[in-house]
Amino acid sequence: MDNTSIFKMKTKVKNPFIDALKQIAAHQDKDSFKMIFDYFGPRLKSFLMSSGAEESIAEEVVQETMCVVWTKADYYDPKMASPSTWIYTIARNKKIDIFRKSRKAVLENIDIAILPPIIPHLEEDIEHDQKFEIINQYLNKLPKEQLGLLKMNFIEEKSHREIAEITKIPLGTIKSRIRLAIEKIRERIEKDKERPDLNNKTRSIN
Amino acid sequence: MTQPSVTVARLLFQQCVAASSKKGNSLEFIRNEISGYLLEKIELAKLNQNVWTKTLISISSSKKDKKVKKEMIPDPFYNNLPLVLQEFLSNKKVKWKNFSDVKIAELISSYETDKLELIHVMPGGSIPQHTHEGIENFLVLHGSYSDKYGIYMEGSMQTRDEDHDHKPIGHPLTGCIGLAYTNGKIKFSGKFSKILNFFTN
Repeated sequence: MDNTSIFKMKTKVKNPFIDALKQIAAHQDKDSFKMIFDYFGPRLKSFLMSSGAEESIAEEVVQETMCVVWTKADYYDPKMASPSTWIYTIARNKKIDIFRKSRKAVLENIDIAILPPIIPHLEEDIEHDQKFEIINQYLNKLPKEQLGLLKMNFIEEKSHREIAEITKIPLGTIKSRIRLAIEKIRERIEKDKERPDLNNKTRSIN
Repeated sequence: MTQPSVTVARLLFQQCVAASSKKGNSLEFIRNEISGYLLEKIELAKLNQNVWTKTLISISSSKKDKKVKKEMIPDPFYNNLPLVLQEFLSNKKVKWKNFSDVKIAELISSYETDKLELIHVMPGGSIPQHTHEGIENFLVLHGSYSDKYGIYMEGSMQTRDEDHDHKPIGHPLTGCIGLAYTNGKIKFSGKFSKILNFFTN
């Protein structure tokens, strides 16, 4: 087995988890799986608990999520989502699934976590790595308070109203700040997309 | 556990919208990526040792699963549906209710919150005048339909509420297949605007 050489072979590894997922899909590679587990396990547990799951349930969801990662790695498409987003989505789905079971809702037995998280393509003419890079860069520079708002909304799954109550920031402000962050990222992606064209077209000055 | 703001029906609908919209719903993409980013930056929780062991045990017994789920229904109708929906339908029977010009299959229904239905309008057929309980989001999966407000092509999504009084007609040649996500009264006050924003963005 050449498991150990897998990561060294690549001259420039952008996101080691993309390769790890490929290795799981192609060779059922346990080392890659362990690497993903060690990295994401504690993070997922933290996410699940911060969004209201008890410890035992959180660990159960981590286990089930990792199981899906193992069996569904061939569904992962690096063009559609970064590995962390893909794994996050699986965990979120699993959490909903477990919650639903616990409520004994009158639904047929749907294993919603098997739904591959389909995330839309942005326009094709922008490099995917570039796109993820833009999002990362923007979020890295975001003031802590604002990142905190996003975290409360997306990770802790608090409603805008709840966030307003906790932070004592007016509801309208919360809404606009969250929306603005997303809008800004989109603008940047759009701008980046336009850049290659500038060489060919005459530029109009505003 | 607090109740998640997402339901199975809503999630599935969103995923279908995302998969169907040709231009790409970039806002939804960004939202997801933000979550992924935040997951990487989150403070670590200590995971019990036995979780890894349990995971290993469960993956060794879950291999059979894989093959079962790979089976797709060999029906051109299903093959044209978004992948997420195919997966969802792969191990269940779709019960169609027949009306004169339209067939409706209820995929998910939860009396207290929301409902997801597959709607098949025959070529040239029309959906009888109907009222929407709450809001209805309709995603065109195949073909097109029109009403007095406009013509709606594959991949587009419309939001209708009680104020919309319309009689949709399926395209004379292709008819129309669509996915309808209806959100009941319960969501009206709080979540209503949130969901609307979500979908129309």
